[in-house]
Amino acid sequence: MILDVWLYGELRKFSDTPNKIGYGQMLLDVPEGYRMRDLLERLNMPTAARGITFVNGNLSALPGFQPDLEHVFADNDRVAMFDLRSMWPFQYRNGAAMTDSMRQAVQEHPEQLMHHEHSEEEE
Amino acid sequence: MWILRIDMKELSYKLEDVPERYRLLYGRALTSQMIFDEVPPLCHALGPNNKLVFSAGIVTSTSAPTSARVSVGCKSPLTGGIKEANAGTSWAPDLASMRIRALVIEGFPEQGEKYWGTFISWDKDAGKPKVEFFDATGYTGQDVYDTFPKIYERFEGRISICSVGNAGEKSYGNSGIVFNDQAKRPSRYAGRGGVGAVLASKRLKFIILNEKGSPGVDIVDKPLFDEGRKKMIDAIRSHAISKPKGGLNSYGTAVLVNILNEAGGLPTRNFSSGRFEGAAKTAGEAIFETNKERMGKEIYNHACSPGCIIQCSNTYYNTDKTERTSCIEYESTWSLGANLGIDDLDDIATMVQLCNAYGLDTIETGGTLGVAMEAGVIPFGDSKGAINLIHEMGKGTPLGRILGSGTETTGKAFGVRRVPTVKGQSMPAYEPRAVKGIGITYATTTMGADHTAGYTIAPEILGVSGKSDPLSPEGKAELSRAFQATTAFIDSSGHCLFIAFPILDIASGFEGFIQECNGVLGTNWTAADIVAYGANVLKVERAFNEAAGIKAEADRLPEFMRLEPLPPHNQVFDVPDSALDAVFKEM
Repeated sequence: MILDVWLYGELRKFSDTPNKIGYGQMLLDVPEGYRMRDLLERLNMPTAARGITFVNGNLSALPGFQPDLEHVFADNDRVAMFDLRSMWPFQYRNGAAMTDSMRQAVQEHPEQLMHHEHSEEEE
Repeated sequence: MWILRIDMKELSYKLEDVPERYRLLYGRALTSQMIFDEVPPLCHALGPNNKLVFSAGIVTSTSAPTSARVSVGCKSPLTGGIKEANAGTSWAPDLASMRIRALVIEGFPEQGEKYWGTFISWDKDAGKPKVEFFDATGYTGQDVYDTFPKIYERFEGRISICSVGNAGEKSYGNSGIVFNDQAKRPSRYAGRGGVGAVLASKRLKFIILNEKGSPGVDIVDKPLFDEGRKKMIDAIRSHAISKPKGGLNSYGTAVLVNILNEAGGLPTRNFSSGRFEGAAKTAGEAIFETNKERMGKEIYNHACSPGCIIQCSNTYYNTDKTERTSCIEYESTWSLGANLGIDDLDDIATMVQLCNAYGLDTIETGGTLGVAMEAGVIPFGDSKGAINLIHEMGKGTPLGRILGSGTETTGKAFGVRRVPTVKGQSMPAYEPRAVKGIGITYATTTMGADHTAGYTIAPEILGVSGKSDPLSPEGKAELSRAFQATTAFIDSSGHCLFIAFPILDIASGFEGFIQECNGVLGTNWTAADIVAYGANVLKVERAFNEAAGIKAEADRLPEFMRLEPLPPHNQVFDVPDSALDAVFKEM
């Protein structure tokens, strides 16, 4: 199956078009049952290097809050990852679509809903 | 502290003491209260009874970081309701340093064809500000990038400039008031709601400040202020979004383009889709990387105003290393990019520059052009055609005058059904069908659709959080009310709204924010007090709007958003009216 992968800002260095302006994009042929964890391994990207992440326009991870590592992809999924300089303030994402795992994680950890990770690990 | 009134009918001025009831009112709180107190709600916005009030914030002109904001208030010719627009500029601390709490422009000159300038300076002998008038007619009808250097040349010393461009002179509902940035560019706009037309209706072309010799503002409790200031600086400098070489300093506000695009919430081709295939070419990352390629090094952003340590304003360069414009904000690259189906960053930068040069609000301009494209005036994606239409607006051709009247008027003129406005003001860059929380704020804010009306401050800090689920419509309504109230306070404090990012996440930063204000004023405000302060601002603004005929029924999004599912999520705006009404019913 095919994954449409978009890597923004500094993360484009993990794509096969690292010199493109502002972003890298790849179509990857992957096996059934492929997970976010598998994709990160293939990209050689530490999961801590990514911040805001989407699967098909659904928010799946925030900086320092990544309940999506076991997310299983489907054919033609669009996956987008942002570097840690990126941001999405709560007032501009309140009510936006989330993956099921993100929605569940937010209900278990409601304090993560509004805040933006600002720990030194992001340095 | 004084209220300085400039009477444009008599070409005279007077200084009044600040009345006791205004003692703690600054910035938006004061401009809105004075408009409520002094402007007949049913007056014509461009008539003799409207007034324009300028006021800097509580901590403006102190050493508080990122706090050089000035609020501009009036009855809006675009919405017909109350308006507060603000800008970051040296003009703000210069006004405050001369102890002018509010500058009120009122009256109407008899000779309508003549424009005036005012020069306000500190009279050392008298120990108060003085105002001189000069004939500014010769500066009208020009690009503000041409007039600003002439003013800097004419007046000696360090001055700050407030002015209006062609759009204001032509009485457009789409016209801002322009202030200088730190590099003397005419690029810092109080942009929304047609405030430029109100200033021009008074036939006042320039308000020039020279604060040399002025005493500055008093700080009642300096140790407390200093403690708060240090906490604020530490919070701003350590947060991922606001720190040096962080999100805003690297990518600017346009960092949001790719995020909203991936979320399916980037309004595209006049709000017909939530995703634009060319978005990445118009984003903050692309601006940063294009500059790096053209300049041969990484270019980080600069401060729009003195004392800003966030420094989010970009400059976009040509291939020959000359400057094309400064700055390209998220709202601008969206409104003139994805919203028009345009992905040519150079042409978007040209349009931003033209909007600044003519005195147009980029959000209203992009919204208007999107509606015009839907009407078939030019096709979506036609960047050269869009540039020509902005020239038509600036030059005042018959078509340009229709477009300059704003998005809603343009929609009516061309019979377009999909018109993205609330209370007559064009919607910014977050699609309410994809981001429903912002839709609640767009619908209910006193300003018309406004993305700066409801910044997030943690409800648990404010003590206003109820038990409702924040993901439910009722929970979102409750949050919107709290956010709008705290935002009204930040707009009154003089701080840039972007301090909301660090003080949301870093508790000591929030403490410092309140300590700074208490230090200046000698108050003992708590978090609950600032929510109450902000809520009172909203009550005053809503009371003005109601008296102007803009009642709760106007707190709605346009109908098409409830009827047309938005790709890629194919959602409509389904927040019930009862939730919208709940935002202010309980305040």
